[in-house]
Amino acid sequence: MTNQYDVVVIGSGVIGSSIAYHLSESKQKEILVIDKGFPLSGTSGSTQAWVWVHNKTPSWYGELSMYSAELYPFLERKIGDVEYKRTGGIAPFFNESDREKALRLAEKQAEVGIDIEVLNREQVLEKEPALSPTIAGATYSKIDGNVNPFRLVELYIKAAKRNGAEFSFYNPVIDIDKDNGNFTITTKEGVFYAKQLILAGGPWTKGLGELLGIDIPVKQVRGQIIVTEPLAPLIKHTIGGMRQADNGEILIGYSKEEVGYDRRTTLDVIQDTAKMAVDYLPDLARANIVRCFSGIRVMPHDGFPILGEIPEIDNAFIAVMHSGITLSPLVGTLMTELLTEGETSIDLKRLRFNRFNECNV
Amino acid sequence: MDKSTIVCRCEEINIDEIESAIKMGAHTFDDIKRITRCGMGPCQAKICTTLVQRIISEYTDKPLSDIGPSRMRMPLKLTRIGVLAGNKESSSVISVFSESASKEGETKND
Ligand SMILES: Cc1cc2nc3c(=O)[nH]c(=O)nc-3n(C[C@H](O)[C@H](O)[C@H](O)COP(=O)(O)OP(=O)(O)OC[C@H]3O[C@@H](n4cnc5c(N)ncnc54)[C@H](O)[C@@H]3O)c2cc1C
Repeated sequence: MTNQYDVVVIGSGVIGSSIAYHLSESKQKEILVIDKGFPLSGTSGSTQAWVWVHNKTPSWYGELSMYSAELYPFLERKIGDVEYKRTGGIAPFFNESDREKALRLAEKQAEVGIDIEVLNREQVLEKEPALSPTIAGATYSKIDGNVNPFRLVELYIKAAKRNGAEFSFYNPVIDIDKDNGNFTITTKEGVFYAKQLILAGGPWTKGLGELLGIDIPVKQVRGQIIVTEPLAPLIKHTIGGMRQADNGEILIGYSKEEVGYDRRTTLDVIQDTAKMAVDYLPDLARANIVRCFSGIRVMPHDGFPILGEIPEIDNAFIAVMHSGITLSPLVGTLMTELLTEGETSIDLKRLRFNRFNECNV
Repeated sequence: MDKSTIVCRCEEINIDEIESAIKMGAHTFDDIKRITRCGMGPCQAKICTTLVQRIISEYTDKPLSDIGPSRMRMPLKLTRIGVLAGNKESSSVISVFSESASKEGETKND
């Protein structure tokens, strides 16, 4: 290992690994990825991993998610089987009065090319017979799917390594300095230098910002998930709230709590999650739970990704967001464009860090 | 022992797969678990814990007593969803649909 790199990426979750992989494709840059732990120890190892598009609003955000979903089949051809399945997505509603809202959502998303059907009860049950007959209807889109996050991150890293990128695990970054246009990155294992620096620290990104003297407007939001024992195929689609993995287990959950970095599971939320499972799929009442887990989302204050240059620090970049599983192929592609060409094929204006200064958040 | 010897019966993971994860940089049981699924199955690592700890210890030359087990997860034993669901009324769980349909410009669901 040398000490001098073109690019150092801090964080080896799905975002940092995707950026390293996409950057490594051209084999033009010396890349080092540093992680304080092992890659899946952060949020990317404790996620539902839907590649979810159709309910993402406003529509420009849905559009970004759609572009990313469209990249998955190509990604899989390049890095290997990440168990990406375009299952189609169903988001059920239980009140007839919600149909109006569903139609409005479909209309809005159609403007950017996202196809949504609004289904009535019979149509939903025809697609997904295990769903509860008490539902009123659902929005449905073919574009949604899910992926195996463990395979995804592992294969991003393996492909990046094949292209020459280097990784340093169990190596926390303790300090960052900038002088003469070069970053000096002090870690537990030694000092590294970089021309370009990318912060991709997930829920720890705020702490990395402090090392650079900037305040990154993100908060931590816990989510708790139930995992069942492997079951015979019960659901075919990704359903807003749950999915069935290749090995038969069903992952269920959709909760949000602001409790800081606390990855415990709590009985109350798990009971509510079990209730949701049964409300959606009555058959699940008889299924066994194997384990529960929780993960910490990193949520920018306005909810949208923070992507691109860090204002006032030349050659420092940030990539921090919720829905990083859905967005990782697109984020890796756009960051590569930005770092190698200085501009991106999709306008990043809405995602830039400096939007927060403009509206004084 | 033969490299193809199964260590985790639930997920059918053998010694070779565990060693590959360690070669990739995995240090702890949990690192290995996420890469290989070893210990994620219905028995929740009750069978493979000491076996994996021994492999890590041999590979890293650390005493067995320094190798921790994997993180225990609620509910520890197989539990029916119906038993947990009870008949609660209120809920902390959000609906993906109602989130997307609420206000333009405010939602982002998983
Ligand atoms: C319950 C739950 C469900 C979710 N469901 C979905 C979903 O269905 N679809 C979807 O798209 N998204 C989903 N998400 C969100 C998604 O998982 C995250 O957006 C994504 O994993 C973030 O990846 P990341 O690489 O930014 O962060 P992480 O995976 O947390 O990676 C950050 C890395 O940075 C490293 N790091 C931090 N600080 C330092 C330091 N000082 N030195 C060295 N290394 C450091 C950490 O060790 C870590 O490995 C969900 C999240 C949760 C919690």
